[in-house]
Amino acid sequence: MISNPHCISLLLGAACLASAAQAQQPGTAAATVVAVPPLATPDDRPTSAGSTPSIAWQASQLIAQDLRTTSEVMPLPPAQRDYYSYPEVTAPSFVKWRSNGSKYLVMGFVQARSDKRLTFGCYIYDVDKGREVSRKGYVVDPGDWKRAAHKCSGLAYTAVTGAPGIFDTRITYVAESGVGSAKVERIAVMDSDGSNHKYLTKGDTMVMTPRLSPRAARIAYVGYESGKPQVHLLNVDSGNVRLLVPNDAISFAPRFSPDANKILFSMMLGPNSEIYVASAEGGPAQRLTYSPAIDTDASYSPDQKQIVFESDRSGSQQLYVMNADGSGQRRISFGGAAYASPEWSPDGQWIAFTRRDPGGRRIGIVKPDGTGERLLTGGPGDESPAWAASSRELIFQRSDAVGHSTLYRITLDDSQPRNVVLPQGGSDPDWSGVID
Amino acid sequence: MRAILLLSALGLVATSASAQLPGLRKRTGPPVAQQAVPLTGIDALRADFLAQAHGDTVFFGLNSTGLDVPTRTRLAAQALWLRRHPEVAVRIEGHGDAGDTRDHALAMGARRAEEVRDYLVLLGVPLAQLSTTSWGKERPGSPRAVTVLVR
Repeated sequence: MISNPHCISLLLGAACLASAAQAQQPGTAAATVVAVPPLATPDDRPTSAGSTPSIAWQASQLIAQDLRTTSEVMPLPPAQRDYYSYPEVTAPSFVKWRSNGSKYLVMGFVQARSDKRLTFGCYIYDVDKGREVSRKGYVVDPGDWKRAAHKCSGLAYTAVTGAPGIFDTRITYVAESGVGSAKVERIAVMDSDGSNHKYLTKGDTMVMTPRLSPRAARIAYVGYESGKPQVHLLNVDSGNVRLLVPNDAISFAPRFSPDANKILFSMMLGPNSEIYVASAEGGPAQRLTYSPAIDTDASYSPDQKQIVFESDRSGSQQLYVMNADGSGQRRISFGGAAYASPEWSPDGQWIAFTRRDPGGRRIGIVKPDGTGERLLTGGPGDESPAWAASSRELIFQRSDAVGHSTLYRITLDDSQPRNVVLPQGGSDPDWSGVID
Repeated sequence: MRAILLLSALGLVATSASAQLPGLRKRTGPPVAQQAVPLTGIDALRADFLAQAHGDTVFFGLNSTGLDVPTRTRLAAQALWLRRHPEVAVRIEGHGDAGDTRDHALAMGARRAEEVRDYLVLLGVPLAQLSTTSWGKERPGSPRAVTVLVR
């Protein structure tokens, strides 16, 4: 377990020189250009994770790499000619960065402390306005410099978009290898940039729909250890697993509440699927729906006062919103197709869904009142959208005609879906909130 | 875009052949006296079941859990066989539609399995002989089918 970086205030002053940077890459006209020159270091000191200049250089590259994973930010990667001195961190040359089209500038430093930790300073500047937007400092063990760099990437992303950064978040999914009856499925988890990839189940039984708790400490998933699909709760660090509800019933479609204390899920006591809620710590489940239809895929609004879910009570799958106690149920999807697998965005503005029609399955979003529907992907084998903490991006599963699945990310800005690089096939993705 | 329900009949008699059919599990529990069973071995039971019940699979319409006449006829034959073989435990495996979304397909498969189980009970098969599960759209088999496998 990594300790949280401590924020510190930064009081530094100086001026900065810099040189011209390369032209913007093609195909990213909508992206905001953010310059990421190499981070400074006040002195070259050895640490347990390498020298401070070495960490500063790697951290600069990681920040540029983080920002490149969004389609909204076009980072100018660190170049050695753009080195600046430690005092220049707080006095950048805006003229130089303006001349190459940069809208924002990420600067900072890596400094060894007497207690063998690192101070990681991060400064974000608005180049056009010629002023600082935000700054943050993190004190970390040298081995945790990547998390500080991810935090700095998040600070830059927030400056550009106004939304939370998604670089210190984790993704879980079902890793799929083999085909047909030889298919092996394991729960996998990784950082949002693909690093620290781990398998959490052995692959001896089928698993599906892993869902991360908001800070990625636990995963609720459906496993077949008993021969039936049942919701399990897995502690990511300890590896301990238990049944969410200790009974014989089929249960599925788990999802954590935004405060991580509760889990919404579906259970079939008899031939019908209803929505239930249970404490993540155990105890009896409370039933929320009473329709003679398949009610499933429930997801809380960020204030936990409302729940969006899917029901086929009208004859086809449609989206409904209800109060957290199950009252006030109302349909919100009327687009002439089937709508499924809704998830409420962390900022509360949108509900992502899978739309089904004879042409296939596509990912889209709609406002919680049912207006403003937009389709984001072309299908035909897309499903299971999950929100990023920024509420500006989704991860989803795309399956081809022979059933091979992999993961894609899509932003809400009409850009193309981008493939998520995995060691093997993948399905059922879910994305945590910001970990700290 | 079609749906399958797999009815797995899980026998107690033999263990060596269980790997030959997908989705089968060994049943744990007290051993059953085998003198009354004329068939020896899981393969013989399976073959007999398939022959007597005219197949191990019944089919559903798209997005449907209804049992049509051919389905009822086949389930009647399966029920007859199961009543003659009370030592055989059956797992009914429901499947959803491959074009469906993950969780709805899981619920559809479970509903289909329960429909089949309830019909077999109606025809006199003891409930204790039957269990149900759903593979959703994860383990596709014959389109719009219910399969009965003997273990």
